[in-house]
Amino acid sequence: MDTVLERRAAAFEGYDLEAMRRAGEAIRAHTVARLDEYLERFADRAEERGINVFFADTAAEAVDYVRRILDRRGVRLVTKGKSMISEEIGLNHTLEAAGIEVVETDLGEYIVQLARETPSHILMPAMHKSRADVAETFSAVTGETLSDDPAMLTAFSRRILRDKFLTAGAGITGANFGVADNGTVVLVTNEGNGRMCSTLPPVHIALMGMERLVPSTRELAVLLPLLTGSGTGQRVSTYVSFLGGPRRMGELDGPEETHVVVVDNGRSAILSTEFRSALHCIRCGACQNVCPVFRQVGGHAYGGTYGGPIGAVLTPLLAGFARAGDLPHASSLCAACTEVCPVRIPLHDQLLALRRDVAKERAPRGERLSFRLWSAAWRTPRRFLLFARLARLLQTPLTLGGRRLRRAPFPLSRWTRGRDLPALASRTFRERWRRR
Amino acid sequence: MERERFLARVRQRLAGVDAPPLPDELPATPASGDGRPLAERFAEELRSIGGMVELVSLPGLAGAVAAAAREAEARTAVVAPDLGPFSGRVAQGLRRAGVEVLEAEGTAAWRDACERADLGVTGALAGVGSSGSIVAAAGPSSSRLASLLPPFHLAVLGTDRLVPGFEELFADLPRYLMDFSSAVLISGPSRTADIEMVLVQGVHGPRHVHVLLVDSTRAGSKKKGRPPKAAGPSP
Repeated sequence: MDTVLERRAAAFEGYDLEAMRRAGEAIRAHTVARLDEYLERFADRAEERGINVFFADTAAEAVDYVRRILDRRGVRLVTKGKSMISEEIGLNHTLEAAGIEVVETDLGEYIVQLARETPSHILMPAMHKSRADVAETFSAVTGETLSDDPAMLTAFSRRILRDKFLTAGAGITGANFGVADNGTVVLVTNEGNGRMCSTLPPVHIALMGMERLVPSTRELAVLLPLLTGSGTGQRVSTYVSFLGGPRRMGELDGPEETHVVVVDNGRSAILSTEFRSALHCIRCGACQNVCPVFRQVGGHAYGGTYGGPIGAVLTPLLAGFARAGDLPHASSLCAACTEVCPVRIPLHDQLLALRRDVAKERAPRGERLSFRLWSAAWRTPRRFLLFARLARLLQTPLTLGGRRLRRAPFPLSRWTRGRDLPALASRTFRERWRRR
Repeated sequence: MERERFLARVRQRLAGVDAPPLPDELPATPASGDGRPLAERFAEELRSIGGMVELVSLPGLAGAVAAAAREAEARTAVVAPDLGPFSGRVAQGLRRAGVEVLEAEGTAAWRDACERADLGVTGALAGVGSSGSIVAAAGPSSSRLASLLPPFHLAVLGTDRLVPGFEELFADLPRYLMDFSSAVLISGPSRTADIEMVLVQGVHGPRHVHVLLVDSTRAGSKKKGRPPKAAGPSP
């Protein structure tokens, strides 16, 4: 993880990163604030190119749409590029339940899928696996024993997955950006699996969160270097594909039909709130790499699709406080995430605001009342002194003059059952100061 | 229907939200041009990400193609139809290296050929000096698979097609995307670091990328500014 941070620093050395971040923020804020216009333009242009565009309100609608396409084409095997949103909508599960074989083709995702786990990081899905783990997982596929050399293991996956690409009935990928001005879908990959999935199978389906748009390619001159520099420290990813629809007349290769599924799934509800900027995220994973909590507990501990600070913000907003209301507490509020974010999302402020909202919705009446009394008792110096004196008086039957409070009546007994409470001193600091 | 409902909801949620303007000027990034000679910078950047590159003269192209094919130990090749003015010399070079060019009629046969070939030879629409990237487009006179399936990708590009950085590339790209059904920016060989963050070259795409930059300062200086040959009309 430290290597990634060093690479990030090296990638931007000598450039005005702050100016880049401010430009990135302005581009994302502008686009998301006018998302309705840009979505409409994107859909019009994409359809002119022969791309089928479907707007899905919910995860279920998105999954249904994909299933209908696959059923109509009689697809039994799907190759998939890395797509966080497909995890979010639970696509694999539904397709597999329908008897369709779904193969993840990003090396990290493939490892995780074979091990029957879920990704632990946005950009490095198998970062929790050692090379020995991978060798073991791959060996189980063919029965031959593989060495744990990463180059050998990679070559093995190339061989196995090439076959899948050539026989798949459909390829499904995510989308890093959708370009409103020309209706193309931008896919950023290093391995080439995104190109494979969008080129070899007769059908290509791109799943895109509705906020992923940019007005034109011009803005990508800043957003792409911000994305790859923050994510992996690269100047540019190996492949940046601009997918502009099916094979045209006379072309030698390419898909016969292509689809873009624009997914809401709770996002529009965020638009009118103070958390709108969470939708500015370009999924670089930098906030995960710097987060002291993420670095200790790993991505799986967050329970949702998106881990780390951005996940602790997004998951409660998308999945609801009942399911994910604890996540905003999975932070030390150190603000490292806010400092590193390439589009300047105030992540730690949002975590704090979410804690407030969760507490408002969740805290039992008794707890709310006691905190209100607590705050009333401390609000002015006079009151503080009064209540300190009162508490000192009231504690005598419990401390019996000792320095620790070992047993107390309910509800304090819940505390003292496990640990002692230091007794209040006989004089406050200010009293001692005055009598010095 | 679902589209109107969807957009209406978004519109309603955004009612009263002010959009900050897009920045008038974009700041320089690591992918911006820096004033250095384009061919030199292109070569340096491509080498730094594991690619191979040579600057050759037009008469020297056949020899360079032959040398590259020998180095790739290629016995078979597919040649994309987007080599334009370079196609004759490329064919000559491949012949000299004893490489069999796989001919294919129709999409299925073409796909087979690309999958079998040791070497894929393509042209490119543009090259980016700041990142060592080339732009490959898909259209009636080009191919998506020739630069993707073979383990070795050889691209031929005139130096007049080089642009300094992303800003210039992304100003030109909308024009390319009107003429072509898709385009891809290729920067060096396919790579991964998914296993213990060890960098490995050659995952799904080519393991080796070799770019021959054809010096167009003398012979081809008149061509400057013209749309690339590959952008011909569809049949």
